[in-house]
Amino acid sequence: MTIIEKKALPESLIKTLPGSAYSDPEMFAREQELIFEKMWFCAARSADVGKPGAFKTVQVGRESILVTRSRSGEARAFFNICRHRGAQLCTEESGEVKRSFQCPYHAWTYDLDGKLVAAPNLTKMPDVDRLEYGLRKVAVREWLGYVWVCLAAEAPPFEESVMGDVRTRLGDIESIDHYGVENLELGRRITYDVKANWKLIIENFMECYHCATIHPELTEVLPEFADGFAAQFFVGHGAEFGEDVKGFTVDGSEGFDRIPGVTEDQDRRYFAVTIRPQVFLNLVPDHVILHRMYPLAPDRTIVECDWLYLPDVVASGKDVSHSVELFHRVNQQDFDACERCQLATNSRVYADGGVLVPSEHHISAFHEWVLEALQGTD
Amino acid sequence: MIPVCPLSALPRGEAVRVEGDVPIAVFHTEDGEVLAIDDTCTHQDASLADGWLEGCEVECPLHASRFNLHTGAVDAPPAKRPVRTHQVHIQDATVYVTLSEDEPNLPPGVSAGSVGAAP
Repeated sequence: MTIIEKKALPESLIKTLPGSAYSDPEMFAREQELIFEKMWFCAARSADVGKPGAFKTVQVGRESILVTRSRSGEARAFFNICRHRGAQLCTEESGEVKRSFQCPYHAWTYDLDGKLVAAPNLTKMPDVDRLEYGLRKVAVREWLGYVWVCLAAEAPPFEESVMGDVRTRLGDIESIDHYGVENLELGRRITYDVKANWKLIIENFMECYHCATIHPELTEVLPEFADGFAAQFFVGHGAEFGEDVKGFTVDGSEGFDRIPGVTEDQDRRYFAVTIRPQVFLNLVPDHVILHRMYPLAPDRTIVECDWLYLPDVVASGKDVSHSVELFHRVNQQDFDACERCQLATNSRVYADGGVLVPSEHHISAFHEWVLEALQGTD
Repeated sequence: MIPVCPLSALPRGEAVRVEGDVPIAVFHTEDGEVLAIDDTCTHQDASLADGWLEGCEVECPLHASRFNLHTGAVDAPPAKRPVRTHQVHIQDATVYVTLSEDEPNLPPGVSAGSVGAAP
């Protein structure tokens, strides 16, 4: 240890997590088990499993999860594993089955509710209960037009965990209801393969100390971001558009009609919410941006970002590129920065981590939350 | 004649398997017909009553060969031989079946009377 490290930190600074927290495979495995496999996880867009038999396979923690829709129209999620000999049931990322999932190995066949409906010689085994040997179910909720799953044996109350994070940031749930997010439609989706730990991405999203440096376009639209205090620093605060700014677009040009439910107070403002552990939400008057992270490795996270608009904007084929381009640039700028940080997580100089300035101090609450979750007591 | 079940216990779109020396599947089609065939697919031991009923055809749940419920004919491999069809009677709101006297076309490893026993 050097002399510098023994010194107490000046009051302005708080320590981050150590570098290893972002690169250690063991730490990541514990996060998979105790965070991603315990909490509600935003797995798929509802419309991506819009009709019975449409499916997506997604990585949640260490597990492959099959998300689909039953004949009665309800979202369903199962562990993507045949109950017979454990073959992965669906290897495609997405697709559509007519009425059943069939294991390609011995043809064990499950209906869209997961029940074992057929298998070779099954009638000779009348003692095999078809529900008991059906696909292992995962808890499911649909909210904001997305399918959320929870792999825990006992899922935490959705209203407290997922909706609780929204309430904490916006002050209440009504504020998000105004955007009618579940009624919006997909205008654009961009998937980012980010070579960085998921926590770096969350931390980046929580602070705006970097905004004036790496987000010139965003700071132009939201001038108050130049002071370094993110929308996520305050409760219920939305960053106001600049005076000359007409819309939340890359050049401040006009956007689309305001979403009908959005109030005067919410107009011309940008709100941001982190729903732990893997969702970011941006709310602006004419669209909503929802990011889902899929952490795959200590140093790799897939981020799927959806730009959502009123149905008539999408149906009429209006040009959404000006509004998409603004946050697409922000994403690229942010993820480049996260990848830059990831490179240093193994350096001896970063072994003890770095420091947070006052406008970043609220990130330490996130660190405490992660550490507490990893103790398995949360 | 073998009594199967009250007609009310077999809604349209559903099927029932009747155990016996050679198990039988009785279907109630969406059009309201009640039709009976051998329950075991002629390709591999699978219950056609667990299959997918569409019109007057049932698709084997394992490998998707389709059998015509009127004729027993199969549309496409992997099953190649037809299933037997059986006469259905409805008396006093009860479904009865008169078994065909033909030899059944059972898949490898399955013989009359073997069903229900351990393999």
